[in-house]
Amino acid sequence: MVRTPPVVWRSRVHRYRLVGSKCKSCGEVYYPKIFSCPCGGEAEEVELPKVGRLISYSVVYAVDEESRDRSPVIVGLIDLGVTRLVGEIVDVTPEEVKSGMHVEAVFRRIGEAGERGVIVYGLKFRPVM
Amino acid sequence: MSRVESSVGIHGWGAYVPRARLPMSEIAREWGWSEHQWKALGMIEKAVAAFDEDSTTMGVEAALNAIKRAGVRGEEIGAVFFGSESKPYAVKPSATIIAEALGITPITMASDLEFACRAASEGMRASIGLIASGMLKYTLVVGSDTAQASPGDVLEFTASSGAAAFVLGRAEGAAAVFEGSFTYVTDTPDFWRREGAPYPSHGEGFTGEPAYFKHITEAVKGLLGELGLRPSDFSYAVFHQPNGKFPVRVGEMLGFRQEQMKVGLVTPQIGNTYNGSALIGLSRVLDHAKAGERILVAPFGSGAGSDAYSIVVTEAIEERRGRAPSVDHYIKNKRNISYSEYVKMRRILVK
Amino acid sequence: MFVTRVAMEKVDRHYEKGVRELAAGVARKALEGVDGVDYVIVASSLSYLQEPQLDLGAHLASALGLKGTRALNVEAGEASGLAAAEMASALLKGKASRVLVVGVDKLTNFPSAETYAHLSLLYDESISTYSSGFGSVAGILMRLYMERYGVDRLTMAHWPALMHSNAKHNPYAMLRFAIAPEKVLEAMPMADPITLMDSFPLGDGAAAVLLESKPRDALAELVAVESAVGPASVAWSEDPLFIEPLALAFNRLSERYQVGEVDLVELHDSFTITALMVLESMGLEERGKAAEAVASGRFSPNGELPVNPSGGLKARGHPIGATGVYQLAEVALQLAGSFPGLKVEGAKRGLAVSVNGFGSSAYVAYLRGVL
Repeated sequence: MVRTPPVVWRSRVHRYRLVGSKCKSCGEVYYPKIFSCPCGGEAEEVELPKVGRLISYSVVYAVDEESRDRSPVIVGLIDLGVTRLVGEIVDVTPEEVKSGMHVEAVFRRIGEAGERGVIVYGLKFRPVM
Repeated sequence: MSRVESSVGIHGWGAYVPRARLPMSEIAREWGWSEHQWKALGMIEKAVAAFDEDSTTMGVEAALNAIKRAGVRGEEIGAVFFGSESKPYAVKPSATIIAEALGITPITMASDLEFACRAASEGMRASIGLIASGMLKYTLVVGSDTAQASPGDVLEFTASSGAAAFVLGRAEGAAAVFEGSFTYVTDTPDFWRREGAPYPSHGEGFTGEPAYFKHITEAVKGLLGELGLRPSDFSYAVFHQPNGKFPVRVGEMLGFRQEQMKVGLVTPQIGNTYNGSALIGLSRVLDHAKAGERILVAPFGSGAGSDAYSIVVTEAIEERRGRAPSVDHYIKNKRNISYSEYVKMRRILVK
Repeated sequence: MFVTRVAMEKVDRHYEKGVRELAAGVARKALEGVDGVDYVIVASSLSYLQEPQLDLGAHLASALGLKGTRALNVEAGEASGLAAAEMASALLKGKASRVLVVGVDKLTNFPSAETYAHLSLLYDESISTYSSGFGSVAGILMRLYMERYGVDRLTMAHWPALMHSNAKHNPYAMLRFAIAPEKVLEAMPMADPITLMDSFPLGDGAAAVLLESKPRDALAELVAVESAVGPASVAWSEDPLFIEPLALAFNRLSERYQVGEVDLVELHDSFTITALMVLESMGLEERGKAAEAVASGRFSPNGELPVNPSGGLKARGHPIGATGVYQLAEVALQLAGSFPGLKVEGAKRGLAVSVNGFGSSAYVAYLRGVL
């Protein structure tokens, strides 16, 4: 993702509140958002549930340069019930994380455009409090 | 004559404490301090924000808890006041980020306040006026800091990370109602951070008598005088808590007993969360208090000033409590870290 | 249409050569003695981030002295090479009779951690936005596979071991050494449960194939290329371990040709788990059984169906946009009996299979021998 003001700005609500898409015809839900459903239906924006179950995960050591200081990064496939998404799992160590674990959204920094540029915020997931 | 404050109350409260804890022994070992140094400060360990946390993210989490407890919708909130001395942006409000994240935008007031550790408290006093006047229905007050301390400075034992938030509104249906408030400020340079400086400076002993003790005692005496109350009329007393010792001493100076201060004293376990300091203490008191109990809260900010509030708990508190995690839940949900992890997480490491 | 000439550069850290030099090297070799082409199609992906040059096709054609020819670029991530072949086949049915497809990519211009960030753009934005590492999706899927089917880590490790064993014989392969399955487990963890030995190496490469509408001097016939797009995120797949667009593309070929009865396959194995998913999604192995089948030798050079005699992405290497072109060249050479590495004796039919990520798109090329 390019971290310039217009790009960071236009997707802010989707990142902050987990807003995805729901098909008006078949009801299928997607995150990140889509523009029309494979069924041909029109998609509308919808706020997704903030709690889910971890289907599977990976403990990533080969991370991008800017993630070096928080390596290893844990990334999971999360089942929100209405849809699934891939998200970062925080507040858990590689020893503690387990498939099947219940997780909930938590507001975090997800990047920044260098030391002087804009800060990108969004949701990650942690074990349910 | 009833006071203006009595028409305003706390509808929801919430705290956030990051998971990592740095034990005092780690800091002492790193810098060659004696264990008496931190024991004299009444400290055990301090909370450390993760690499991807800052005062804004913690503020959002605390505010989310407060909103859940209040049971209000984002669009019902008419002002967001964010008090912090560790803003991620020097220029650009965090209040708008918090407001956007919680669905409060766009028809709302929003601003970041700065008054060292009492900025959020100023937001609380201003909210009382805005709500009492009928101008706004609800406001959101957030105090959050990732407190900075120069590595090796004695301040490093206490400077920690955490946040507290409150949804204020009309007294009807509130979990606790204000009874009175009082503010006392002077120009006192006890602790400051110059523009562009990464870490704050302080006047050591000067932070004590002429600053912390003077302002808090004057604010509390002013409040008690106006309300005609005595320390024994309160079930709980919460003071700004830069360490584990100052709040107990200022309480005793004012005639409060240890038992009144115990519930609201969280610094020994989590450190001094600056704008969250007294307010996380207040959150913990609200986690425990029963209807009819009276709470004294006195935040303090360097530079310097203190507010004192008298708050009376209502029946509505019981149903609100379980809607979000308690302060104790956050205190218990911890993972100890090493000094080197702390250095990485707080971006102190120079590469 | 027919594959008449092929050229490959060894996949390696070609620090001394830029994108245009790598591409020009194989293009000149493929065009030796050839009297002009109607089109040059350049397949490249990461080069747009590692060595940016817009209108790369025209720039390359100009550098090759191909005055007045027509040039196009194709970018389809890891599937760019076969995407270029599909486009060439369409052109060959129309006004073109000779098309040069050049695949080229560069992965070593930046430190690895920055290349990882570039590679994460192959996936949907939930990976790149969070800077959480390009191997994360593969790690998630590998764990899911192991937990769902009860396959242990060591069984999974037979795939990279087989690829390394095959690559030893391929002069164009980057990693020409054998490894025991046990060593895969001991390698540096990359995206646990994935180790560095489960992943393709970061290398540069270029390959070219000349495609003509007439069979004169052909190595093999490129019968057809089929493709389909799929969900951009694995979160959207009905079953994340099943590459739906690959099944779809393969079915489209099956309806017209007997592609189930091929003699060899060069397929997409960016990670160990990708290979298993490709085999199962194409129905070449039962669901959940591919890892054991690999371990039992079913896909070894002397097995029932030799897969990736080149060493695959794992050991030949995976210069992202160029990989599909390598696969086409390798299958064509096998069918002509002239592959310089492990030969699949008497092979008459072969497939080349490319996927981007875990199924945003998938391509299958079907080739037949002309001997």
